[in-house]
Parts: sequence; structure tokens; C-alpha cells
Amino acid sequence: MVHAGMVHALEEIHRLLKPDGCLIDIHPFIGEFIEVHQGRKITFAEAVPAFNDEDIRQAEDALARVVQRQLFLIERAAPFDFLIYASSVVELRAYFDEANAFDESSRDEMAAAWVLELAPRVEEAMRAAGEGAEVVYHEKAKISRMKPRR
Amino acid sequence: MIIRIDPENSETHALFDLLDFRGQRVLEIGSGDARLTWRYAGMAAHVTAIEPFSEGILKAQENLPDELRDRIEFHNTSFEEFAAASKPSVFDVVILSWSL
Repeated sequence: MVHAGMVHALEEIHRLLKPDGCLIDIHPFIGEFIEVHQGRKITFAEAVPAFNDEDIRQAEDALARVVQRQLFLIERAAPFDFLIYASSVVELRAYFDEANAFDESSRDEMAAAWVLELAPRVEEAMRAAGEGAEVVYHEKAKISRMKPRR
Repeated sequence: MIIRIDPENSETHALFDLLDFRGQRVLEIGSGDARLTWRYAGMAAHVTAIEPFSEGILKAQENLPDELRDRIEFHNTSFEEFAAASKPSVFDVVILSWSL
């Protein structure tokens, strides 16, 4: 969604919710990493460049705007880590290609491009980590519970 | 292809920490292939899942468990179109599922 669309969507959500209902928003937060895991051990980690910050900033701004207008009250919010594991860089790339098929944002596309760019170093790290190593796309996310105000 | 998505269930734990779905009428916006929907739908009274991309809806419908058939309805539509055709004050919960 573009910014104006986000605010309008939040207005419409307010209309569709019962007065005692709630909105749960889950969206990515700044901070993504490509990692190599061997069991519980992280043997390689590199931050993904901040190419998605604008999308995230717009979402945060839209939420802040409807709170400021007293359409919603943020009751609770919490960060969490969202991890996607693959047994090879090729598989992780294929996953992003599939995700891109039904995602209008450039987020997964950019992540896929970065995975490809990092591929030689990740594959080397996986070889060094030994059998059973996995490549992991590690995304920081935020979940919020918001109450509509009348 | 062996892909494991959130095997720690961090997303589900975070969601259930914020909300008890029992008896709730839920609208999920941007349900994709219903990866998240399956996690809570069994507890909700009813789920309306909307997704503008048909690939996601088709995959979700293919994987719809029999026990959830009378509890979930999928709509291949944008939120704008869905909202324009919807009455006010009908949902207990709206989930923006990585879609804002």
C-alpha cells in the first residue's frame, strides 16, 4: 500500500470493527539479516542493506497518524524475530521468487537480489559450517494490538 | 525444496500473547496462502480472509482443511473493494497480516 492508501485503509478498518473490537497489525521492522546456522550456532550473519526502510517508515507513519487523530489507541506492541530456513541459497532464492508472485511490495524482490549477491560468501560459510548447515533469512517484525476509539 | 518458515512459532506466540481468538469474528487482510490463517482459524468463530493475488487464494483453497471449511471464507479481492461492499461494525478482530 502507498501511504495515502494505508491511512484510508486504517480508516476503513475502524469502520468495519465493532466498538469493542481490535486491530492486530503485523509488519516488518527495520533490521534483516542473512545468516548461516549450524544447529543453534550462528556461524555467519550479515545485515541486509536498508533498502526497505521507506516502506516501513510509511507504515509506521500511517499508524502514528491514525493514533494522533484518535481513531485508534495502541494497547500493546512487541517485537519478534521471524526466521525462514533453507538448506541452500538456491532454495531460499526460489522461496522468494514464489513469494514475489503474490506480493506487490518490492521487499521480497530486493531481499532475493541481496541473497543472490551474498550467495558466494554464504555458500562458503555453509561449507565451512559442515553438513546440516542452513541459510536463514532473519527478519525483525513488530506486532501491535490497537483498539478503535469512538 | 525444504523451506522452514518460522519453525520457532515466534509469530504465533506473539499473536496469541495479544489476543484470545475464541468466539471472534476475524477479518484477515493480506492472507496470502493462509500460512498464518491456519494457526488461529480453529479457535475463531469465523474468518474472512482477503487477498488480492489469486495465486495466494488458490494455494489457500487447495490446502483448506475439511474441519475449517464452514469457518473460513476466502475472497480474491483488494481491501478497498471489500470494504466498500461491507457493512460497518461487523468484525471483532481485523488482522493486517504483513500487508500495511
